[in-house]
Amino acid sequence: MRMINFARRNFKELIRDPLSLVFEIALPLFLLFIFQQFNIDADNYKLENFTPSIILFGFSFITLFTATLIAKDRTSSFLIRLGTSPMKSSDYILGYILSILPIVLIQNVLFFLTAIIMGLEFTINIVPTILVSMIISIFFISLGILIGSLVSEKGTGGLGSIVVQLVCFTSGMYFPKDLIGGVFEIICKSLPFEACLNIIQGTLHNDFSNLSAMHIIVFFIYFIVVILLSIITFKKRMISDNK
Amino acid sequence: MIAIETKKLTKRFKDKIAVNGIDLKIKQGELFALLGVNGAGKTTTIKMLSGLILPTSGDIIIENMNMNKDIFKIKEILNVSPQETAIAQNLTVKENLEFMAGVYQIKDKEKKINELIKEFKLDEVLNKKAKTLSGGWQRKVSIAISLINDPKILFLDEPTLGLDVIARKELWKVINSLKGKITIILTTHYMEEAESLSDRIGIMANGNLIDIGTSEELIKKTKTKNFEDAFVSIATGGEL
Repeated sequence: MRMINFARRNFKELIRDPLSLVFEIALPLFLLFIFQQFNIDADNYKLENFTPSIILFGFSFITLFTATLIAKDRTSSFLIRLGTSPMKSSDYILGYILSILPIVLIQNVLFFLTAIIMGLEFTINIVPTILVSMIISIFFISLGILIGSLVSEKGTGGLGSIVVQLVCFTSGMYFPKDLIGGVFEIICKSLPFEACLNIIQGTLHNDFSNLSAMHIIVFFIYFIVVILLSIITFKKRMISDNK
Repeated sequence: MIAIETKKLTKRFKDKIAVNGIDLKIKQGELFALLGVNGAGKTTTIKMLSGLILPTSGDIIIENMNMNKDIFKIKEILNVSPQETAIAQNLTVKENLEFMAGVYQIKDKEKKINELIKEFKLDEVLNKKAKTLSGGWQRKVSIAISLINDPKILFLDEPTLGLDVIARKELWKVINSLKGKITIILTTHYMEEAESLSDRIGIMANGNLIDIGTSEELIKKTKTKNFEDAFVSIATGGEL
């Protein structure tokens, strides 16, 4: 199948870029390790809460490097060649998504292994947590496709960094939103990152008391809108780039 | 037998006409060069003929199939070697060939890849990443890849741009070896390239196909001494 063939190529491109591996895997692993050494007396930094946070943090780099791959493909003649081939839009979009899912799986397994070595209790809940986080990762991959379709390779660095910062500050991974409150709290509630973190944490703890209906609604709205926008924008840019 | 036919082929971008009602017939196995100064409309024409962008109006018929109806069937039988080197940079030469064989769903892909490796003498670079190759090698690989699906129609957009004279002559040899077997549409800024390689030459200016013929016919028609002068005379309307 063409999409599998395309996914295989994308996977090789990503895995052979040492910078992407450093940021997608090594940096989150380092943060997971180092924050445990500080023995911070706050719930956010307990392994059972911070491991899901690190998963989400890793996803923000998935967005960044997906965007870079797509912007790079767009600006090279590579997509021109593929544009004249019998590949369809669905082959491209699914090919990009499928190529990144194995990296997400590798991330998750390594993060949990490290956390278990550092003292996280091994429970069967880790398996559904990995599955749920892979579904959530599709949102981050689609966000990368959207950014990579909209801006140049240089621009992806800037927009990707914004996503990384938003994940850090609005998901609640470092501090609870009610510490600041006010407008900041409204922003956190309006963005999907807090919902993503609460879903992953809730699955790991098998306790969804922190997850409100609003979280689920916000996440699904973003999930669907970003996927649709990424498909529409990518298709449009494939044509407009070639005018 | 006609391989490519266009009828009143037109492309507008907002208020600008990039290609203005071109009627063109290219025979099977012919090597047809499309020349013109920058902005003449040749790249837009190639992009429409290769299915990359849609015409505003007019028809494209390739091997008896209409581009409007059978675009994916047409895409199976054509291939393009774009102006810039279009290969996956982090993949080796072999992986690039395998990837493109997958894109075109080539049945006996090992056999086809080995044929191309032999034909283009790619052995020495086979396991090297594309980004580590010289410009000449990258272009050679790019052209080899464009033959992966045994195309009936091949578009070569400035195939020797930026290459040194030896690399250019090597590619001419390759292109010459393809003549007669497949229909080739070549764009180039090198007059000697068009003259040496092509069976017929079409000259575009301001979106119009203003003249067409063999290099000898165009020289004779413009009463000039060589093809370069003939091209300048036609492209400028005799002003230079």
